[in-house]
Parts: sequence; C-alpha cells; structure tokens
Amino acid sequence: MNRVLAAAMPAWPRIRPAATAIAALLATIAITATLLAIGGYPPGDVFAALARGAFGTWDRFVSVTLVRTTPLLLTGLAVALAFRARVWNIGAEGQLYAGALAGVAVALFLPFQSAAVLIPATLFIAAVAGALWASVPAAMKTVMGVGEVITTLLMNFVALFLAQFLVQGPLREARGVFNQTDEIPAGAQLPTLIPETRLHVGFLIGIAVAVALWLYLTRTAGGFRMRAVGASVRAAEVSGRFSARPVIWLAFVTSGAIAGLAGWIQVAGVTHRMYEGLSPGWGYSAIAVALLARLNPIAVIVTAIVFGVLSAGGGAMQRDAGVPDVWVRGIEALVILAVLAVDRGVQTLAGRGSRG
Amino acid sequence: MGGRNGARVAGDAGAARVGDALRLRGVTRRFGTVTALDEVDFALAPGEIHGLLGENGAGKTTLARVAAGILAPDAGRVEIGGQPLGNGGVGAARALGVAMVHQHFSLVPRFTGFENVALFNAAAWTRRGTSRPGYRERVEARAGELGLAVELDVPVGRLGVVERQRVEILKALMGETRVLLLDEPTAVLAPQEVEGLFAVLRKVARAGAGIVLVAHKLDEVLAAADRVTVLRRGRWVMTRAAAEVSARELAEAMVGARVDVHGRGAAAGAGREDAPDAGASVRGDGSAVVAELREVTVTGGGALPLRGVSMQVRRGEILGVAGVGGNGQRTLAAVLAGMRQPDSGEVQRPGEVGWIPQDRTHEGLVNEFTITENVAFALHGRADHRRGPWLDWAGVEETAAVLVRDMDVRADSPATSAAVLSGGNQQKVVAGRELLRSGELLVAESPTRGLDVKATVAVRGRIAELARSGERPPGVVLISADLDEILELSDRIAVMVRGRLIPVPHEDHNPTAIGELMLSAGGRGGPPGSAESPTP
Repeated sequence: MNRVLAAAMPAWPRIRPAATAIAALLATIAITATLLAIGGYPPGDVFAALARGAFGTWDRFVSVTLVRTTPLLLTGLAVALAFRARVWNIGAEGQLYAGALAGVAVALFLPFQSAAVLIPATLFIAAVAGALWASVPAAMKTVMGVGEVITTLLMNFVALFLAQFLVQGPLREARGVFNQTDEIPAGAQLPTLIPETRLHVGFLIGIAVAVALWLYLTRTAGGFRMRAVGASVRAAEVSGRFSARPVIWLAFVTSGAIAGLAGWIQVAGVTHRMYEGLSPGWGYSAIAVALLARLNPIAVIVTAIVFGVLSAGGGAMQRDAGVPDVWVRGIEALVILAVLAVDRGVQTLAGRGSRG
Repeated sequence: MGGRNGARVAGDAGAARVGDALRLRGVTRRFGTVTALDEVDFALAPGEIHGLLGENGAGKTTLARVAAGILAPDAGRVEIGGQPLGNGGVGAARALGVAMVHQHFSLVPRFTGFENVALFNAAAWTRRGTSRPGYRERVEARAGELGLAVELDVPVGRLGVVERQRVEILKALMGETRVLLLDEPTAVLAPQEVEGLFAVLRKVARAGAGIVLVAHKLDEVLAAADRVTVLRRGRWVMTRAAAEVSARELAEAMVGARVDVHGRGAAAGAGREDAPDAGASVRGDGSAVVAELREVTVTGGGALPLRGVSMQVRRGEILGVAGVGGNGQRTLAAVLAGMRQPDSGEVQRPGEVGWIPQDRTHEGLVNEFTITENVAFALHGRADHRRGPWLDWAGVEETAAVLVRDMDVRADSPATSAAVLSGGNQQKVVAGRELLRSGELLVAESPTRGLDVKATVAVRGRIAELARSGERPPGVVLISADLDEILELSDRIAVMVRGRLIPVPHEDHNPTAIGELMLSAGGRGGPPGSAESPTP
C-alpha cells in the first residue's frame, strides 16, 4: 500500500508530514466544534471570537499572539530536537524555570549595567542552566539506564518548587510585598523587535534557533548522526560505526539549553521579573507543538504560532463567547491525540502496522 | 515446494486414525520483506509427538504461532481437527483445542500457579465472572493425572524456571486439548528435567492429543518424537519417521547441504574471467594478507566468547566460516570490524572494514531513510564527503547513484526510501555501502538470510564477483549457517564451534564432513554430554 501510494503520488513521502498535521488540525477543529455545540456554545461564534482575539488587529497579532508564541516556539524546538534523537525529554518546563532563575540571578547581581554585556551574558547563563538541569536525567539515562520520561518529568517539580522557594526567600523583591523578584536592570531587558509593539527580540532568537536546528539536522554530519540515533541506535552503531551515547548527551543538553533560553527570554522580554507560575505549562504544550510539527524545526515555527493563536484567542473566546478558558487547554490536548491517531491511521493504511 | 511426502502419515500410529489433529496447507507468512514461511504443508496426527527442527530463523516458531492463531497466514489454510481455523485468532484456535506453551512463558509473575491456570481457562469462571466452585480440585486432579508436580500456591515470580514451565503446561492442558504446541520447551531444562517433560508429553499424546515439539537439539527430538519435520529458510524440507532417520541426515537437512549439488564454480568462474591473473598471483604472495587474527580470545561483555581464534584472510579470496548460529560468529565479525577489542591475542586488520550485518532491517539499514542517507552511514566521517561540519550531500547522492547502478539496485533513484525496496535490493545497498568503506576486507554475516531464491542468487553472485574482479579485490569473510552458500562461494572453509575456529582441509569440502564438524564438540546442535573429538 505504501508502495502504491508512493507510485501514485511521487511527492507523497515529502508531503506526508504536512498532510498528517493538517488532517490532525482539521480533526481537532471538527471534534471541538462538536463538543462546543453539545456544550451549548455556537461553534461559529466561538471560532470568530478566537480569530478576533488572535488576529483582530495588527497590534493584537504582533503584541499578543506572537509574544505568546515565543516561549512555545523555543520550548517546542527543545522538545523537537530531543525527540528527533529519541530522547523523550518531558522536562522542558523545568529546564525553562532553571534558565529563567539563572538569568534573573545573574541580571540582578552582576555589577554590569551595559546591555552589550548583560544580554549575551544572561542568555548564555540561562542556556547553561537549562543544559545543566537536563544533564541530570541525561546522566541517569546514559550511565544508569533510567528512563528519561519519568526523570525529566520529576525534575520539573523540583524546578518549580525551587523557583517558589527562591522568589519567596533569597530572590524576593526588596519591598517584600509580592512573591517575585525585583525588576531586572534595563540593560538586561530584551529590546523590542517591531517599534510600537510589545514584540521583543526573543521571537527573532526563536526563529534563528529553528533555522539553525534545521540546518544542523539536515545538512551536517552531526545532525545526520542524531537522526540516525533517533531512527535506530543499533543501526547507528553497527552501520554508522559511532557510539550513540555522546549523541544522546548532545541532544539532551542542547534541548535543555534551548528550553532554558525560553524561560529567560520570557522574563527578559516580557515580565522583567521572575515570579511563581511564570509558565502556564509551555514546557508541556511544547510537546504538542513539536509533535504537530512532526519534529521538523521549521514547521515548529508554524505550529508554535497555531498554539500562540489558541492562547491569544482563548481570552477573547472567554470574554466574547463565554467559553471558559480551560477549553483552550482541552483543545491543546485534543491536538496531541489527533496527531497520534492520524499518524497511526496513516501508518496502518500504508501497511506498516502489519508486522505481527 | 513442500508437501511431496509431507502428507504421508508415518510412524506406528498412522493406520487407525482418520483425520489430522492439525493440518497446514500451503501456508505463507511474511514479515515486511522477509518470508518466514513459504508455502509450507504440515500434518500432525492425533496421538503423535512431532518434532519440528530447523536453524534459527527457519520458521519453526512462526509455524507454531500460525497454528495457534496468533499470526494469520498471508496465504494458505490452517485446519484443526478437520475444521478450518478462520480469522478468529487465538480465541478460535483455543476453542478448537489448540494450546501453546511459549518459549518465553506468558504467566503473571504476581499470581500464584492456580491463579495463572484459572486466568487462562474459561472453565474456571461462571458466567457472571465469579470463580467456579470446585475448579481448584479439577486443577489438582489434572496435575495428578499428568504426573506434574505443580506448586499452585506460590506466586510464579518466585518459582524456578522448571516449575514455571510446569504451570505453563498445566495451564495449557486444562481444557480439551487436541493440539499442543511447545516452542523450545527444553531450552531451559537440564537433561534429567528433559526426560521428565517427555514423560508428561507421552502421557498427553497417549490420551489422543497431537504434540508439536519445536526444538533444535537433534538427539532430544529423536528421543521423544514419532515423526520429525525439518524447515529451512521458511520452506519445508523433509518429514520422516524418527526411527528411520539419523541425526546426521537431519543436520544436513537443517543446514541445507544437498549432496547432489556442486554449486561451486558457476558463479565463481564467471567472476574469474574478468581478472584472470589477479586472483592467482596474490594468493601465492604472503604480503597480500589483508587481515590476520592470532590466538584471539574474547570473553564476557554480553558477547558469545571466542577462544583462541587464529585466521588469515587474503586479498581476492572468500573464507567461509560455517557453523550453527550462536557459536561466536557475531563476536568474530565484531572483532574483524573493529567494534570489539579482544581480551588477548593479536588482531591485524585494515583501518576500515566492510561489515554486512546479519540483521539487515535493524542493523544494516534505517528503513525510513533514503538510499542516499543509508549510504551516508559509511561516509559521514570521511574527509572527501565533508566540508567542516557540513556533510556534502550532493557528493553522497552522487556516490549513492553510482552504487545503485553498480550494484544493480532496483530503485527509481537514490532518493527512494529503503522501506520500499525488496529484501534483496536492500541487501545490495548494504553490500555496496560496506564496500565503499573498505576495498580491503569485507565481512558478510548471513548475507542471504530472509531473501527469496532470486535475491539469494543475485547477492551470492555479487559477493563472488567482488572477490574475484578488479585490480585489488577485497578479502571476504563469509559467515553463514547455510552450507550450500559456504560451499558455493568459499575458497577456504573453517567451522566455528563454541568459540573455536576449526579449519577444514580441502578434501573435506563436502556437506557431510562439514556438517559433522559443525555438530561436533558440543556445538549447539549436539548433545551437551557427547562431545566427540573434532575431525581435523
């Protein structure tokens, strides 16, 4: 059947990922519409409200949708890279907090004020912190053989509670009113990307990381090795004659570094302070972003925007159509289920599921 | 292919019985591009113990799983007691009286023996799902009848392997059993325990059930079975009464030695014409040795051991390493390829070695990669295909295109995904890639396993040609359990038995002598206690 498909449509292998993603999105929309109708909300009105919230005006699109896209883009890339090497990093959320905390600490306590020093220094330190946070489960996986799904997930809680402790104690703001840090110095704040909007340079960093990862995976020898390890460790070691372990390490810590960047960029570009609950779960939504993009870094840009639209439009849905915001979280979950189901459906159609 | 005399019911029990307990007609089963069973006919009479023999990968387990309804055949029919087994799967087979004891037991470790037996048997439960009173007594009575000493009240996770097997057998035999399939039941047993198992099986057979005993220990099968069927490479080879067949005949049938075939020469001769001198001249020259092992020993590290292996491989020759699978051949390949360092001894080998691994689909290729990407496995570290960190994909693609042409790979282009290639074409890609890695030494490990006849001929022809053509042909080490293949292709032959490499003198290049060596010194095919001194 796969052969038949390939013969009938020469481009099929290439467009299959996009076709799957679009089919998954359409399935999600259909299911959501049905659920909304059952719930008593006219689906047309709800989707219109969502669209208005996300694209209503240029400023709304740039200042809200794209700003909310940025952390999803970076964490989505982090997850996509790890998954490409078959490293199931569920810990982008924790790595994001590690990066944000490290960036804030450096920004607040380094005696420099110049942006030329502070911005590169804090970005670097945030990436390192994310990488370090990821290196714990990476070591447990490669040295002791402990599955990374559970370790990365649990490290998320450690990071979350560490952040709570720090903003309630050592890093708490000087006035001592809220559980948050002082505002970071102006030199550490990311400049705006488009004048008159709230979109900051972090979005551009996200795009640059996406392009860099894509080039790495498709054009370099190292990226080839990473894809090979993701496809089959045994084939990599026997046919490629290289050890999979360093490749797994690299994928793991790079993924952590990118997630760490996501956290600090959110603080440096938007909130300018670190507080409890900085992330509404971007590290988890990132899994949906990456899966919907079929782990392709360039496609992550698109799927991150899709989720940014959901996030930005969710508020308008609530306000204008009276749909509770939790529906948006539900839709995200539906996307994951739809991607997995459609993917498996296509595979079964293609006859690959026939192996006993 | 099969069935010429497969239908003949031989043995003492034949005359009185009418129907077969189990009957396979022209059953074919494929896994992807691998044909595990190829039009196999098989008949099991009620009350007989039927040994099913074959090398690893011959299709024994697949046959048993098809009969048990676990796998659906791609073609052909399965009949249980004369009734067709449709697509009902395990449930339907079970209803017709088929029970299977798997090689890796299917028991719940936390449940007791009794709970495991009850879990599998509908008779243990009432319609409402409560336990049926009196079932416990029935289980105990059945165990007593069979003479099985089964521990029923201890979680099976705490039992030893022998006791677990007894639970598994009792579990299978609680219902009305017409056909009992046992997949390598003796693999986990000591010799005395094997006798105990056979006593139980004879009892079950006397009660009228047909038993299929999958095994690869010849003497055990001959001791227990009424009839024996041999499979090789998914095909039926022979069915004989156990009393009328010798261990040697069975061994030859398993490894594929056909005395009437002298395949050597046809393929080899064709290659030689291209380079009349090259082969002859280097063979006399000592400096043409491309690899040498001296007293190489490898132990531990999860690999089957090598014990003092010495060998020389010369340019332009094919050194055939015969042997029943699992005697250290894999370790030898890994040492030659430089993937494994020996514990002692000397290894002399080229910097890069081509290695066609035995498991094509999991080790030789990545299915979802294109041909080009699969070729890149050999080139990703090479300076001529790199620019700094960048891989020269255009260059790799060119190399892959040349490979596709030279190796006669049937594919539209190098951008074709490996998944859509046939097994033979996949193997040609692997072979071609491994030759890119080194023109000095090529290790081919079961290079035609799982290939159909045509592809097998093509791949063998390629290997013969490679070693005999060109200015500087590579030395080839051909590791195979298939004696036909070894005899057809090799210039020199050695046999691998329990980690030792025994050279076979030229006058012994015949199936009988090699087959005997393969089974000597307690190789896996032979009995543990009866090690004869190897014929030199």
